[in-house]
Amino acid sequence: MSVEEARREFVELLGEENVSWEPAVLDCYAWQPTFNDDPDRWVKRPVAVVLPSSTEEVQEVVRICNRHGLRFKSFSTGWGAWNGPTFDNVVQVDLRRMDRIVEIDAKNMYAVIEPYVNGAQLQAEAMKVGLNTHIIGAGPNCSPLASATSGWGVGHDSIYMSYSARNLLGVEWVLPDGEVLRLGTLGSSGEWFNGDGPGPSLRGIMRGSCGALSGLGIFTRCALKLYNWPGPPEMEIDGIMLDAKMEVPENIGYYMCFFPDRKAFSDAMYKLGEAEIAYNALATSFGGYFDILTPRLFRKIEHADSIRSMIVNTFKYTLAILFAANSARELAYQEKVLHAIVREHGGFAMDVTRIKDFFSMLFMSFVRATIPALVFRMGGSFSTALDRNDALDSQAAWREVVREIKEGYIRKGQILDDLADNPYFVPYENNTWCHCEVVYQYDPRDPKHREALEPIFLDVTIAAIERCMEPLFTSDPRVRRLISPLAGNFSKYQQAISRGLDPKQAADNTLYSAEADFDFSGIDPQRVRRLQEVVEQRRW
Amino acid sequence: MALQDYLRDMEGCSRCSSCKWVPFNQVKSWRFAKNCPSVTRHNLHAFSGSGKMIMGLSMVSGRSELNDTVTEIIYRCQLCGACDTACKVYRDDIDLMDVLLALRAHCVEQGQLIPEHMLTIDALKREDNVFGEPKARRGDWAEGLDVKDAVGEKPQVLFHAGCRYSYDPDLRETVRGAVRLLRSAGVDLGIAGADEACCGGRAFELGYQGESENFADDMVSRVKATGASVLVTACSDCYAAFNYLYPRMGKELGVELYHITQYLEKLAGEGRLRLRQRVPKLVTWHDPCHLGRKSEPFTGEWKGDKLLRPVTMKRTGKKGVYDAPRNVLKSIPGIELVEMERIKGYAWCCGAGGGVLEAFPEFAAWTAAERIEEALATGAEALVTSCPWCLRIFRDAVEETGALLEVYDLTELALVSAGEGVLAGGAAR
Amino acid sequence: MAGKKGSKSGLREALAGLVGPDAVSDSREELEVYAGAGEMPALVVRPSEAAQVAELVRLANREKLNLVPVSSGPPHIHGGSWPLKGSVIVDLSGMRRILRTDRRNKVALIEPGVTFGQLQEAVEPLGLRVLKPLMPRANKSVIASALEREPITIPKYHWDMNDPLLCTEVVFGSGEVFRTGSAAGPGTLEQQWAEGHAQKNPLGPAQSDLVRVVQGAQGTMGVVTWATVKLEVKPQARRIYFLRESDLGKLIDFSYRVLRPKQTDEHLILNRWALACMLSEGAEEAARLAEKQAPYTLIYTLSGYEYFPQERVAYLEEDVGRAAQVSGVVPEREIPGVPLQRVWEMLDRPCSGRYWKERVRGGWREIFFITTLDRVPRMMEVMGEVLKRHAWPREEVGVYIQPMQLGRNCHLEYGLFFDPEDADAAAKAEGLCREAAADLADAGAFFSRPYGGWAEVAYSRCPDTVKALRMVKDMLDPGGVMNRGKLCFQEVG
Repeated sequence: MSVEEARREFVELLGEENVSWEPAVLDCYAWQPTFNDDPDRWVKRPVAVVLPSSTEEVQEVVRICNRHGLRFKSFSTGWGAWNGPTFDNVVQVDLRRMDRIVEIDAKNMYAVIEPYVNGAQLQAEAMKVGLNTHIIGAGPNCSPLASATSGWGVGHDSIYMSYSARNLLGVEWVLPDGEVLRLGTLGSSGEWFNGDGPGPSLRGIMRGSCGALSGLGIFTRCALKLYNWPGPPEMEIDGIMLDAKMEVPENIGYYMCFFPDRKAFSDAMYKLGEAEIAYNALATSFGGYFDILTPRLFRKIEHADSIRSMIVNTFKYTLAILFAANSARELAYQEKVLHAIVREHGGFAMDVTRIKDFFSMLFMSFVRATIPALVFRMGGSFSTALDRNDALDSQAAWREVVREIKEGYIRKGQILDDLADNPYFVPYENNTWCHCEVVYQYDPRDPKHREALEPIFLDVTIAAIERCMEPLFTSDPRVRRLISPLAGNFSKYQQAISRGLDPKQAADNTLYSAEADFDFSGIDPQRVRRLQEVVEQRRW
Repeated sequence: MALQDYLRDMEGCSRCSSCKWVPFNQVKSWRFAKNCPSVTRHNLHAFSGSGKMIMGLSMVSGRSELNDTVTEIIYRCQLCGACDTACKVYRDDIDLMDVLLALRAHCVEQGQLIPEHMLTIDALKREDNVFGEPKARRGDWAEGLDVKDAVGEKPQVLFHAGCRYSYDPDLRETVRGAVRLLRSAGVDLGIAGADEACCGGRAFELGYQGESENFADDMVSRVKATGASVLVTACSDCYAAFNYLYPRMGKELGVELYHITQYLEKLAGEGRLRLRQRVPKLVTWHDPCHLGRKSEPFTGEWKGDKLLRPVTMKRTGKKGVYDAPRNVLKSIPGIELVEMERIKGYAWCCGAGGGVLEAFPEFAAWTAAERIEEALATGAEALVTSCPWCLRIFRDAVEETGALLEVYDLTELALVSAGEGVLAGGAAR
Repeated sequence: MAGKKGSKSGLREALAGLVGPDAVSDSREELEVYAGAGEMPALVVRPSEAAQVAELVRLANREKLNLVPVSSGPPHIHGGSWPLKGSVIVDLSGMRRILRTDRRNKVALIEPGVTFGQLQEAVEPLGLRVLKPLMPRANKSVIASALEREPITIPKYHWDMNDPLLCTEVVFGSGEVFRTGSAAGPGTLEQQWAEGHAQKNPLGPAQSDLVRVVQGAQGTMGVVTWATVKLEVKPQARRIYFLRESDLGKLIDFSYRVLRPKQTDEHLILNRWALACMLSEGAEEAARLAEKQAPYTLIYTLSGYEYFPQERVAYLEEDVGRAAQVSGVVPEREIPGVPLQRVWEMLDRPCSGRYWKERVRGGWREIFFITTLDRVPRMMEVMGEVLKRHAWPREEVGVYIQPMQLGRNCHLEYGLFFDPEDADAAAKAEGLCREAAADLADAGAFFSRPYGGWAEVAYSRCPDTVKALRMVKDMLDPGGVMNRGKLCFQEVG
């Protein structure tokens, strides 16, 4: 291994200003506190950071790593601990110079983008031609390419615009040996309109529920499906977030619906899915909104049990639903169906478009998913109980399970009191299947909170296995070792794919193919026994 | 406050990178979605607001050391504050701008000095202005104008030109025009001339906070000595120093403070300024950082957990001066205002601020050229602003790039509309 | 292992030990059905449950057999299951159980032998409908169709290329049993059901989507023993419309306008010959019917579901009507010479009796690939040139355009029908299709399902894909026991 030699070659390739090994600069890539259970919050410091600007440069960077026994870890926008190195000899490949929208094919409804295009940019350009892009719940700061090729992919709009992984067409993929693999039509004719085949689809080894998080190479361009946008080509909004002011665009409808209980909520959600009327649909609790809109108030009502109970239980089953209709007739129909369904299930629907300030505040928050990052307001950080999605009923049950787990930690002051019931509950593809993760908020600067992160994660993992769910942070080597034997030994295949595509193991692939044991020292034995029990019970 | 006092802010950074983008509600295109000149030009995360905080955290945590490379990264930043606005969309507990300022103060404390900035500070110390021009000639720009000597003649309104307007020969007509405009509205106006000094804002931004405080003290006594009840400044930098920085340092000027755009709006509203001549032009308005987000008034320092800080004490960039210049522009017959994509609290910087123009002129010019492109994208014939630093760098950028864009100070257009001047060669005469 | 190792009788005995003696056959008559245009297999084995399939694959690894999985009944058309000599056919068509239907979650868990007709019969009383290709043959396996990525007729439900397939259990060529999507575990199916799951999430498990490499693999990676398929709600109101046009461009323009907002349900374009053939009992009737048809007919339906179904159809009729106006086409409610009922059957039912392609003249060749709607005219030009060179009458070529993935691309299919007794015609069709495949691929046609000779056309253009596919094949079928010689796996095994 020759780090020095590699650095010299990087400089030769990319120029001095696009390479650095200055410790403080490298630490900007080692500070990854979000979704990081390690109380230290620093991840490994890379040995260099490089900024390629083209596929060819990415290939060469990867080849240099291969030649010098270094690993590489790429990211696009770089938010979340999975973007950081996990080995000591990692070159961080920061893709922010690859920031172009290569093409928008408005007719065939797709865009070809590079890694550092973010969701807001792509959406703004797509809307100009009557289209829209799926934006993940993490927000429009994230790279659509990254979530589609390498990460997860749920969003408020999933009912209409699916899951990131399912929106891929052609893909350009720099393999860990530096060769380029082009998926689908791209590999055959240079066109982007299809991502599968000829024959078996290599999308199958590219990613699954979750992506390889740079463990299988670097994605340099991809075509993403765009969806119909009947709203205005440009938004006329004054204000930057909660202060936003705007008129209700033509043929846009927006309702907050409230249901009396879980059954009514679930039944109504099934009906809404079948009615195929929604453009965005996000179910959460009333508390879920107001803890981010009024975080200070929430900090004040800690332990005020009666107020707490009132807020938790009054509007527990809340659904925000957005219509983006192609005509006034369509909007009228959609609203009529909504009212019928809500009424039938004992709920009520509030027309948000009639409360202009509220509408203004929330509209882009939904259309562009700008609201979720407000989750930082309460304590500065959050994590989430994110587990495998399936039928809506399974997800509704998951919400309750995690709420109970959270209550215990809230009582002990180890996470912040967000009323415990804080789901991000989203149906995919007209509720073909459904997603529910439950958010918990904490102050990462509070050692007591940091110490609770591991135990919560373990509790959630146990609960997930018990509920026959694969914890979607299977990117964690400890979870992989635990779950793989319960799910067809998938880890073995991932390892084989890794070996096949990456003979020199140049990719930083801990989050894709490594396995590790949980450290149970300090965990109460009862909990460990419970884990062992559920693992035994859930084999097939 | 020292750098380590911002530990909670720095380790609060989640690295979401919102600081690199226009607040997402307002992203209107691929091209103009980025807000931070520093990271947009240099790309390494270290150049972003987040990156600079993480470097600070790294140093405070003993993981890395301050050296020339780190210092340069810290200073390759206009301190435009766009990152702070964007960060605060989502965060109540991080004052990113304060961390950036603390980083610079830390550099100065540690003796990590930028040579060009040392020249500026020397100039300030020697001549009371950032250019090192003779202090005796500070009032030359006003030669022959019908204006009181503020020292002795007790005008009601003290006009503060600022260093750039006082000494930049190319901008002389602009600032003279401003004075003529005010006089034409019957304002009882005086200037301090050679007795005017730098506001000290630039020294603060360069990290020389002690120097800055000296200038502030000096300025307070100079203003008080004039007996004026109103202070109008044509310089956005000075306005931000007076409106935000001085109160933050506990200094009170003891006068009613206006930026020239605010004062023109007031005069027009009172009917004292009559903007009647048509100025048929499609223009776009550039919000100077110091007039906009950076001039937001100081509302007190919160001690304790910022998560519990009242919203009223959180600087968000929303309370800058945004409406006044637009109102003045709209009141000029014939002017049609077309907005750029990045405006108000999320406006793109001109490139001149934070000591960048002095130390890294190529980066400053690049930043200005970006803004020129954005202005051109609106289809406007002219870019209008109200800050001598912005004006200077934009005019240079237009000359450099050959862009077909006129660049005006707002007062120039107002002057023409008031019948006191004509437009010639991209400036009012 | 019992029997004489390496001999056919020994093998037969071993297989019989796994599936029972009645489920193994080497009768020439039976084997010929599977041979298609390929070679004669040695044996056919008909497992009745998933566990037997896994045992079979393990045996194949031990004995270095070549297994060719087949799920649909004959005729085996495309060549994906045409065996090499001496292969063992694994005929799954007898595994016909519908293991579970779930109205609430709109899903069925089925075995590979379940046919479209069978599934429709089971789910329609529940108020559900099956997503299906256009007029599949009566014995077509639902799972085989999905595994081959056959296009479905309702583009708005075709979100991604693997639709309507959801979760599967697959026995890889290695003999290992794997479950994909949310069926993967933790938990047995029963445990998952008890927790409210319904095997509806097609993704995963974890960080790969191995079902995608089983799909489109023509049985070269493994054998699917059960799967869940996505069902949709049966409309309570439905209307059918026809756009009869000579200008294909107008129909394409209209398609873009209405597919984007997901307004139509069934949506497809047929030329007059394809339409006539589908609705006729033979070439003569087809010729008569074709005369009455416009050069191209776009068929679409509008539907209303549980709530105010008529109102949904009504507003859509207006909105779609407006789109038609802009595109310069006029929706009609019928087509000449055909009772509407027959068109509905064409859309809704699998073929009853003989496969429609077989009905025309007995023999046929087809060529299909993926392109985009706006590229269709170019493809038509290329195909037109080939037809001209081969003097094949243009008017007797069926054209079927099926938008997929909500209109982002489309399946374009040409059908050439001939009398199988007419050797010249058969040879001509064969040669024409071979040449057309190459020319069309040169023009950008994407042979996503490269059967037979198309494999060469498709894979010669993407050597990097071939390399990666071989790696996958080595991983899932290290012994090379699954359907040798197909796709790009000629050297494997």
